[in-house]
Amino acid sequence: MTTYLISLLILVCIAAIAALALNLQWGMTGLVNFGLFSFYMLGAYGCALLVKAGWNPWLALGLSMAATALLSALVSLISVRLSEDYLAIVTLGFAESLKLVVIHEDSWTRGSLGIADIPRPVQGDGAFLLVVALALLAVFLLWQHLTRSPIGRSARALRDDALVAATAGKPVLWLRIRLFSLGGAAIGLAGGLHAFYYQYIDPTQFGTIITAYAFMAVIIGGRGSHVGVLLSAFTVVLLLEGTRYLDDAISWLSSAQLAALRLILVGVALILVLIYRPQGMLRPYQLRADQAARRSVSGRSSAI
Amino acid sequence: MSQLLFNGLVTGLLVALPALALSLTFSVLRFANFAIGAMLTAGAYLIWLFNTGLGWSMPLAVAGGALASAALAVLADVLVFRPLRGRSGVTLLVASMGLAFVLENTVRLFAGGSSRGYDVAAARPMRWAGLRINQEQLLTLGVTLLALLAVWLILRHTRLGRAMRAVADNPALAAVRGISSTRVVAATWGLAGVLTALAGLLIGLDMGVDPLMGWNYILPVFAAAILGGIGRPLAAVPGALLLGVASEMSTLWLPPHYRAVVAFAVMALCLLFRPAGLFGSPWVTR
Repeated sequence: MTTYLISLLILVCIAAIAALALNLQWGMTGLVNFGLFSFYMLGAYGCALLVKAGWNPWLALGLSMAATALLSALVSLISVRLSEDYLAIVTLGFAESLKLVVIHEDSWTRGSLGIADIPRPVQGDGAFLLVVALALLAVFLLWQHLTRSPIGRSARALRDDALVAATAGKPVLWLRIRLFSLGGAAIGLAGGLHAFYYQYIDPTQFGTIITAYAFMAVIIGGRGSHVGVLLSAFTVVLLLEGTRYLDDAISWLSSAQLAALRLILVGVALILVLIYRPQGMLRPYQLRADQAARRSVSGRSSAI
Repeated sequence: MSQLLFNGLVTGLLVALPALALSLTFSVLRFANFAIGAMLTAGAYLIWLFNTGLGWSMPLAVAGGALASAALAVLADVLVFRPLRGRSGVTLLVASMGLAFVLENTVRLFAGGSSRGYDVAAARPMRWAGLRINQEQLLTLGVTLLALLAVWLILRHTRLGRAMRAVADNPALAAVRGISSTRVVAATWGLAGVLTALAGLLIGLDMGVDPLMGWNYILPVFAAAILGGIGRPLAAVPGALLLGVASEMSTLWLPPHYRAVVAFAVMALCLLFRPAGLFGSPWVTR
């Protein structure tokens, strides 16, 4: 039971990191990333290949995060000057292309055979859970800090109206690229942790379901609210992942059918939340008028 | 070489149908419908259901499947997109992704993940002027050309087509002139449903029906629509033909499993250098 709980928690933490990353890219900045799973896959393969080549696991993780960030920036460059719809299809196209490359370039990636025996940076599932939880905490704190800093304000401004943000002198393109690649780094982190956790990766592990979970967590949690996304990741993804272990209990559905049913539920939930509760569970952070007034009053009194 | 050109044109025509459907929904509703691939899959499976499940003859099954697919598309609009009307394009886009999950996995839940075939006799390929031509390719040629002609006639020469073009051009002005946008939107979805079902049929005849068939075509379909100039429905056709030829020709240098990568490369180049498409006006850039 404890091992089951630990493995479930590790999976949820990894999914939560990916969801937070999407929340930075899409929730805060308005950049739709439908190809999320491919950046995740890139993080996983980068990590696995470097570690297998004899690198230190921590260094491998850092390097593959940097690579994911760089590639995110390049992919977003194709369409950041166009409307959001284009970034969605470009990221999706990149994802499908990258998956084809990983499957077919088997001299690097061993194709569908997969990479086995990936060493972890720490021994034991309990210690690994600690690593994953700390990574999640670090991403969360960094994001919270960013949200309240000038770059977070600019991000929200250009999500709500890029033209106004540009008129106010914000470097729209540069901000978009930076925020998208920062989110990409976090997705790479999640992917790397995935590789370390399973210690075996092959292309079938990486599919749309990863993207779907992240979108669901962000939409249900409330776009732009990091606390909400954490909460929804720990409830919804926990529930959905929990149903994996129902396979034995529900005998009249095969595990493939159960997987299909899980994705149907994800789709229905996405649509229903978008229709009936577009703001999600929690309200995103915004500077409220009374807060701002209080701040400026205290600022003035201290000036006097 | 001429064989590749011919194959490319046929593949292009195949992609032209869903690309046209995508462009139609985009120009009327102003959002990119990511459920287009799942609609194609659903249409192919509906025809398969009528054909193999109920034992209808192929023409009857195609007609039934196309109608059912149109009804499904209209139903999806009523249940999913109508409540979201007026919201941002990105919201609709994400909702269409949700719809894609639902459609594709409903198919998988009931029909299983393995590949199925229609109940048709296999035929030997023919030879003509040095070309090797499959029965399916001839059928593709005939069906797509007829469908494209029908869409062109509807858009150019019927009241409905005029209304659709008016709504696409300026919804507010169209509403002032008394055009019911509800009916135009429903007709657009119905048309998209028929087109995707036909494409599903043709792809299914060529390569079998499986739950991922539509998903695999999403990239070429979007690339064709963007290349033609998304928001200009009929421009998707030359876009699709160009893309089809380009991806067939690429097999001279690249292994054939990288066709999707070629579609992505064509799309990326188009977005970088001519984001409005070959025939479009640049209203989408900001």
